[in-house]
Amino acid sequence: MATVEKFSGVEPKMSGQRGLIKRPGSGQGTHQLLRRLLFSEYFILYISIAYFLILAIFKPALYQPANLSNMLANAWPLFAIATGQTFVLLIGGIDLSQTSVMAMTSVAGAVVMVESASATVLERSPLWGHLLTEEGGILAGSSFAVAAAVMVMLLIGMFIGLLNGLAVARFNMPAFMVTLVSMTFFSAVAIYLTQSENIRGIPETFLKMGNGDMISLYVGEKASKITRRDILSFITYPALLSMALGFVGHIVLTRTVLGRQIYAVGANRAAAAVSGVPVKRVIILVFMISGFCAAVASILYTARLEAGRPTLGENLLLDVVGAAVIGGTSLFGGKGKIHWTFMGVLFFVLLSNSLNLLNLSAFYIDMVKGAIILLAALTDVTRTRLLAREA
Amino acid sequence: MKKFTHFLTVAVLVVAVLAATFVSPLAKPAPVAHAQEGLTICFAFQDLETEFWVAGHRAITETLADLGVDVIEVNGNQDANRQLEQVRDCIAQGVDGIIMIPQDGESAVTIIGEANDNDVPIAVFNRPPSDDNPNNALVIVADNEIIAQKAVEFMAQRAMRQIETSGEKIVPLILVGDLGDPNAVGRRDGFYNVIEKYPDLFETPIEVATEWDAATALANLEAALQGNPDINFIFTSSDFLYPTIRSVLEPMGKWVPAGQPGHVILGGLDGDATACSLMKDGYVDATGVQDLFFEAQATMDALLQAINDENYQPNELIPDPGFALTLGTLDFEEMDMWGCVLFSEGFLDQ
Repeated sequence: MATVEKFSGVEPKMSGQRGLIKRPGSGQGTHQLLRRLLFSEYFILYISIAYFLILAIFKPALYQPANLSNMLANAWPLFAIATGQTFVLLIGGIDLSQTSVMAMTSVAGAVVMVESASATVLERSPLWGHLLTEEGGILAGSSFAVAAAVMVMLLIGMFIGLLNGLAVARFNMPAFMVTLVSMTFFSAVAIYLTQSENIRGIPETFLKMGNGDMISLYVGEKASKITRRDILSFITYPALLSMALGFVGHIVLTRTVLGRQIYAVGANRAAAAVSGVPVKRVIILVFMISGFCAAVASILYTARLEAGRPTLGENLLLDVVGAAVIGGTSLFGGKGKIHWTFMGVLFFVLLSNSLNLLNLSAFYIDMVKGAIILLAALTDVTRTRLLAREA
Repeated sequence: MKKFTHFLTVAVLVVAVLAATFVSPLAKPAPVAHAQEGLTICFAFQDLETEFWVAGHRAITETLADLGVDVIEVNGNQDANRQLEQVRDCIAQGVDGIIMIPQDGESAVTIIGEANDNDVPIAVFNRPPSDDNPNNALVIVADNEIIAQKAVEFMAQRAMRQIETSGEKIVPLILVGDLGDPNAVGRRDGFYNVIEKYPDLFETPIEVATEWDAATALANLEAALQGNPDINFIFTSSDFLYPTIRSVLEPMGKWVPAGQPGHVILGGLDGDATACSLMKDGYVDATGVQDLFFEAQATMDALLQAINDENYQPNELIPDPGFALTLGTLDFEEMDMWGCVLFSEGFLDQ
């Protein structure tokens, strides 16, 4: 508790630098309103809402219930992995290995629980005949296969995070280099283990974690027969898992000693060490949290795609880091919040969705997406500078 | 905590706005802007990396445009999750049908299930779902096993002539595709059908994994040829790997046209423009040809029929029998091969 008090004085500057700025006066003018919007820590949320509203005029499909349900479904797995990335960014690091954690855990989970496997596809795998046969994985058919697979996935995620953390904390190696190497290494291991093949036969119970609904909605007039396409997912298992993870992450950062220590390490590692923060332990824990979150995301994506995939998430890194940074988390550490990351995730999901709806040529979509992300990042940098001047 | 409360307030407002759209009369599904014929088709493809997919993309989009159908194109860029999200976006827009070139057989199963759940007819173009697919789709696919067999059979006939002069058994090699893709499995089976038919002609084949990736193929082929320099018979599971094969054979002095000493009997499957060009120059002995134009037209016809019949879950396998173009038939059959059509239009000069 004493440690908490020790850092409570510096926390606002580190975790919420925007909270220190001199707020504009309470004038009613448009200018004042714009200033307030621009300087708000929810700026990206306002941008997202404005973008949504403007686009909705031209593209009504954007606000169709089915599309809104779609966007939310796409947001949850990304939010899970971006939560872990936020922790690492807060200590001034970066975790490029999250995608390889996803690939490794996806394969490992499948090897534990699949109910059957194809010899034609997988007989070249070094696992074939030992851990994987035509009868399925190690625990195929067992009532606790799914629980065991989830545990294995989470443990592997934390183990890879532990290795990263040890390399960064004990050997003082740059996080960028360490995680780049582990990304390459573990991605290659995942591909080697399955010889680049996907593993199907995931049990139905596990699939529910990626697709299952708790509450669905029907929007429309009374009808004797409602088709499946008119029933929209509203509260889903991925939503609950991801929100729970984000909430725990938020509590850890704002309500625990570890959270204070994470901000302290990110703001100034040397000063944190002098102040008695166990810097190495914090770094290791943060990378383990990142690995854990990547494993949770892997559970969601694996269930959603209904296969253990050695290439799972290989194109996701830009979205993960981008969502956290656009949300407001600093690449230099010490500044960031979980709900900022959630806003960044919403922005990314909205952007991808809207570009698909706009029916741009497939050749232009990535260019437009890149340009909009760059624009958003530039706007954020400009805001930060203005905020610093005001402060 | 105050900020978090602020955030929660904003979040509640956002949820309220979203909820309002759920119940608002405005939120009733709006009709998609239709073209003359009133149909919108979503075309979800996985990338345009090889000539075959570029030509397939062109054939499908041009055919649809000629029919006056609106096309929503989405490119998954080799990411199965991205493709799933894109197809969901298409469904949310109320498309009438989907044509998909999936990333792999496994993701095809998942995406077909998504379309089935939403009562949108779906056609899968040239990369079929994996064998355990429980869902319903129009699957247009070449009979890879038979087409590969036809090409390899011609290659085997050439090999027989060679063994008559050299007296030594032929050392065959196959570049295998991603075995998660049933196309790759069929092509491999077709190759082995012929090899096993002539046990006195061939040594045990050497398999080189490519995962449908040129870099992987290059590394593995180099290693295989260094370990087995006697290899004199190569079958590639896809024509897009010819440049890779050339880059390995040329430095070893094995890139030699047919009829000259040291020629490696070479064949593949797809029928692309590069294969056409190399056959004309004599480097490639035979290539199995997928009838791309037939496949594109059959896809359109079957999907539009299903939409007209309000058949939301059509389930049919439409095979493309294909054929083999060989050095023996090149002169009179070349314009049946889509790659030769592209070649004649200057595709490789672009």
